[in-house]
Amino acid sequence: MKIFVLNCGSSSVKYKLYAMENEEVLAEGRVERIGQENAVITHQSTGKEKVSKTMPILEHTVAIRESLNLLIHPEHGILASVDEIDAVGHRVVHGGESFSDSVLINERTKEILDSLAELAPLHNPANVTGIRAAEKIMPQTPQVAVFDTAFHSTIPPHGYLYAIPYKVYQRHKVRRYGFHGTSHKYVSQRTAELMGRNIEELKIVSCHLGNGGSIAAVCNGKSIDTSMGFTPLEGLMMGTRSGDIDPGAIFYIMKKENLTLHEIDSMLNKHSGLYGIAGVSDMRDIEKGIAEGDKLCTIAFDIYEYRIRKYIGAYVAAMDGVDAIVFTAGIGENTPSLRTALCSNLSYLGIEIDPELNKLRGQDLEISTPQSKVKVFIVPTDEELVIARDTAAIV
Amino acid sequence: MDIRRIAVLGAGRLGRGIAECAASKGYDVVLFSQGAGGQDALRRIEKSLDRKLAKWAITESEKRLILGRISYTLDLKELSKVDLLVEATIDHFYTKQELLRTADHLCPPEVVFISTSSTLRVSDLARGITRNDRLVGLHFIPPVPEVPVAELVITSHTSPAAVETVKQFAARLDKEIVPIEESPGLVNPRALITLVNEAAYLMDEGVCNAAAAEKIIKESWGMTQGPLEMADRLGLDLVLNWMEQLQEEFGDRYAPCPLIRRYVRQRRLGVKTKLGFFAYTEDDAIVTVAQGEQED
Repeated sequence: MKIFVLNCGSSSVKYKLYAMENEEVLAEGRVERIGQENAVITHQSTGKEKVSKTMPILEHTVAIRESLNLLIHPEHGILASVDEIDAVGHRVVHGGESFSDSVLINERTKEILDSLAELAPLHNPANVTGIRAAEKIMPQTPQVAVFDTAFHSTIPPHGYLYAIPYKVYQRHKVRRYGFHGTSHKYVSQRTAELMGRNIEELKIVSCHLGNGGSIAAVCNGKSIDTSMGFTPLEGLMMGTRSGDIDPGAIFYIMKKENLTLHEIDSMLNKHSGLYGIAGVSDMRDIEKGIAEGDKLCTIAFDIYEYRIRKYIGAYVAAMDGVDAIVFTAGIGENTPSLRTALCSNLSYLGIEIDPELNKLRGQDLEISTPQSKVKVFIVPTDEELVIARDTAAIV
Repeated sequence: MDIRRIAVLGAGRLGRGIAECAASKGYDVVLFSQGAGGQDALRRIEKSLDRKLAKWAITESEKRLILGRISYTLDLKELSKVDLLVEATIDHFYTKQELLRTADHLCPPEVVFISTSSTLRVSDLARGITRNDRLVGLHFIPPVPEVPVAELVITSHTSPAAVETVKQFAARLDKEIVPIEESPGLVNPRALITLVNEAAYLMDEGVCNAAAAEKIIKESWGMTQGPLEMADRLGLDLVLNWMEQLQEEFGDRYAPCPLIRRYVRQRRLGVKTKLGFFAYTEDDAIVTVAQGEQED
């Protein structure tokens, strides 16, 4: 079975083609700058040379058609015909309360997705554009939506409700939804596999630390809490997002700086986090700054680490214990100094990591020592594979 | 038709605002101006973006991206390469009509024209051009990037396709359009100049100064900007021009208060001369209400 996975952004499309028999990636690529004359499409079929070309691509339908053309290209492609694709899996950021699992897309699904645009205005409309474009090109091929929020649908009401008038939840569905669900699902499952244990008997804290970051408490295979909330702004300090902040401080800042809703929204989402404190949002630049003696980089790193540690502590309490902590995504996988700082400050849990193993990267890895009471892992995330698996399971 | 490149005729406050707003929504914008002051349009747009950057509304890279989408030219031949035209020049009928005629010759025939006129009838302007079914009135309200509504004027000649094009353009600019009937003066300008005129009379009669009038009007109705500051930012010469146009149409109820005429005569034109009802800093901020008043 061949599954084509699509991740459509407002001006980009990322894709992967899987052969599900052995979960092999047959081809992958991306189209960037959609809507412009100089859009760039990059494609690589496994075992073949990487190709890249610049061309006008004004909309998603054209972008998807071009990627399919490359899949069947005599020189660069890997398929004889697009008809070989059995199903298309789409990443959809927000499933609201309507979708607690991946679904086959039909007219009703699309109507609901349209109505959810308000909850994720930056992402969902682009995801739906991708769905409609793929349907147009491959009308006979089943399409499946896989939601970033779905894995967190198991969070109980005491975890997802905010302590504000209940009517606000009833009227506007303001609650914790959580994001990065596909990633948390993948890395927690993979952690259980690496431990040789059944996930249903494990308590795992999953740390997805990329430019955006979130932590999830995965208890017996189910998400019971996560740090991102109604929007991705809540929770950890991130590259440019503030994470948790006293809402009272927001009103005060708005008044003192005479800011509009848009301005404060943009301040908290794009000008805060590591960038807000240190002026750089990339953890590699923060580490470089620390090495050069930059005090603000040091403070930014310390806040970043401290907030993750607080959440880990909170989720250990939420699950009444922890068997494993897993790190994934750009910062989670590639920043040994962060893992060292975190784990050495969690000694009360009996955590002990192997400094040499902690330096390795790019592979599934246990970095804790055999004596460590809590196991610590690095698992490079693979959201596309989860989408492909869910899609294959549904069709 | 896929609209990607738009022409904005006029690099005054309205034209610059439309250019900035359109570029921030991904359009390529060519700004045309034959008048003085057009030269520094890009610099002023950059200044406006810097103010947004200072208030965290945009990032440094967004600023560069927006500026990169706007070009400025004096050469009307560039009009042959645009997909939509927005006319945002001062409300002088013959000047505007002449410009629209020229653009009519130069633009590809399918291009829809938008007139932002506040006090001229769109159907009168449409009379002079061949594409009279593709001229739509859309009155943007300054400061364009911030004001979420625009007034839509459709004449009996306007084609539904042209209206649809303009609606889509407005939607992409995040403007809610409010359709109104054609009139020589639209809702916003007529309501605004009535407030400004009344405040000017109150000042002229010695009832209160500009700061007091502004404070009472602004705060009692929860406005983010008072009418006198709005007038200063529009330019008191333009406000006077509107009043005179409307007086011609409707009679003395729009007769300008002598104080406004006096200010315009004295070149107290508002922000552009750094003095109007209030005084302004180099960065176009009100000096302080008290200091502005001391100029009186």
